[in-house]
Amino acid sequence: MLERVVIWIGGAALITATAIDTVAVIGRHVNLPLRGSIELMQPAVLVVGSCALIAAAIAGNHARIRLLIDRLGPPARRVVDRLSDLGTALFCLVLLTGSVWLALDLWSGHETSELLGVPWRVMRLFANVSLVAVLVVTFARAAGRKRP
Amino acid sequence: MILATPETGLVGVAVLLVLLLAGVRIGVALGLVGFGGLAVVLGFEPAVIKSGVVLMDTLTRYELGTLPLFLFMAHVFFAVDASKDLFNAAAKMLGHRRGGLAYASVAGCAGFGTINGSSLATAATIGLVALPEMRQRGYADTLATGSVAAGGTLGQMIPPSGALIVFGIIAEVSIGELFTAAIIPGITQALLYFVVIWLLVRLRPGLAPAGERAPWSERLRALARIWEVIVLICLVIGGIAMGWISPSEAAAVGAAIALAVAAVRRKLGVAMLYKACEETLRTSGMIYLIIIGALIFSVFIGVTGLAAAAGEAVTGLGLGTYGTLLLVAALLLLLGSVLDGLALMLLTTPILLPIVTATGMTPIWLGIFITRAMEIGFVHPPLGMNLYVIQGVAKDVPIGRVFRGVAPFLASDFLHLLMLIFVPAMVYWLPEVLR
Repeated sequence: MLERVVIWIGGAALITATAIDTVAVIGRHVNLPLRGSIELMQPAVLVVGSCALIAAAIAGNHARIRLLIDRLGPPARRVVDRLSDLGTALFCLVLLTGSVWLALDLWSGHETSELLGVPWRVMRLFANVSLVAVLVVTFARAAGRKRP
Repeated sequence: MILATPETGLVGVAVLLVLLLAGVRIGVALGLVGFGGLAVVLGFEPAVIKSGVVLMDTLTRYELGTLPLFLFMAHVFFAVDASKDLFNAAAKMLGHRRGGLAYASVAGCAGFGTINGSSLATAATIGLVALPEMRQRGYADTLATGSVAAGGTLGQMIPPSGALIVFGIIAEVSIGELFTAAIIPGITQALLYFVVIWLLVRLRPGLAPAGERAPWSERLRALARIWEVIVLICLVIGGIAMGWISPSEAAAVGAAIALAVAAVRRKLGVAMLYKACEETLRTSGMIYLIIIGALIFSVFIGVTGLAAAAGEAVTGLGLGTYGTLLLVAALLLLLGSVLDGLALMLLTTPILLPIVTATGMTPIWLGIFITRAMEIGFVHPPLGMNLYVIQGVAKDVPIGRVFRGVAPFLASDFLHLLMLIFVPAMVYWLPEVLR
């Protein structure tokens, strides 16, 4: 369920990003420039990236070097896999802590983009909620459940 | 800041290598070592805040949007069988020559490389259509598997290239200039593979029989099936090289054209769109995590001064430009035997950048050179990911035979790497002319 929602939200953002830059390119060549196209792209790219992190965590297909672990027996490989999951969760926790720290510091500043006034605190909130989802998925995997 | 020394950086690199070989995810290993190192050198609070800053910068970075959009374009093209059309067109044009389907495989890989930036995906998709055809026509397994495995690496070099996008972000150089600089190395790499095939079938004609010549009506029909791809190549690569559009815009326009092609071919549906988005997001997520980790790691390396110290140490050896570059090549090939391509790039870029620029080469040259070295790792034992991908397609061919098949192409890869060192104009000329 979570996977389908994430793919559709991320997919919608991908198509939105495709449309924004395509319209911007056409607009530039017919003298109808799209104002603040980069500022419009930023939230679209953020949603794509955040959903991508969750989708990759659910699929469990983060790149690893398997030269040595493929030579281990199944019990040892399970231990290594679990440690790798815990390492991933720890790194996500570091990123989340740093990102929440910044979001809290800047929350009352009401940061917005220059031309269109895109609210950055909403973007930070979306990124942080996504990281929480990645953390939950990774912990669930480490605890032995493949999918939440 | 007492611990901000090159020695601390060296310990970090050693820990990173251990974590990578222990199977920790590449992005996580880079990020944890970078964060841990920053915490030791600068303190916990700055390290956490820097990690948060890198995360948000990466997720909102306009240039990085290029990556998922190019991946989206490639996945939409997968769904409309563009790989099959590209190989068929090349096979109709070249299939009658001795070894013609092997040439067609390399040409198909080069063509598919223009809509896709991954070696593995190129080898797998072209392999699926080319290998059964070559084996059915009596080609030797070694030539069939070797040509596709080697040809697959063109996906990484010919723009748009995922590896070059990642390098551009890490080294903070223009992705557009990297793409333009990669055009001649990509073409010369493909030409060298053609020479290898020509030599092989000339020396051992039994490797590949000549086929029947397809009539021009069939050839034109096959070419008509790929006209959209040709338009796309002109728009995406030509547009970036001429400076008409930025790489991010080219990726968006490419994705829009891919969707239009899918609609015209009546293959644009909800299921197809979902599949394309799913594959795009999964791969992007993997690469995003690696980039975030690599950026934190490179901040740590920068703070310790390891890169500058390594640069001074290598300069102190007095090897001269070519000696230094040959040493760099040897190091990349050695590490490429045990490290995955992206890990190799992200681990070595912050350290090699000052060493290479001290010899007079530019970061753009290093980007092309590292990508080339990464590609060799894809067809080079013991990792040789492309070889295992090809064996997955042709399951009854032993891996040893696939390794033997790729060996002549590997020799041409080493020659190409030397050409990049001794004739750097291969990299510099086109961006200079088009600037």
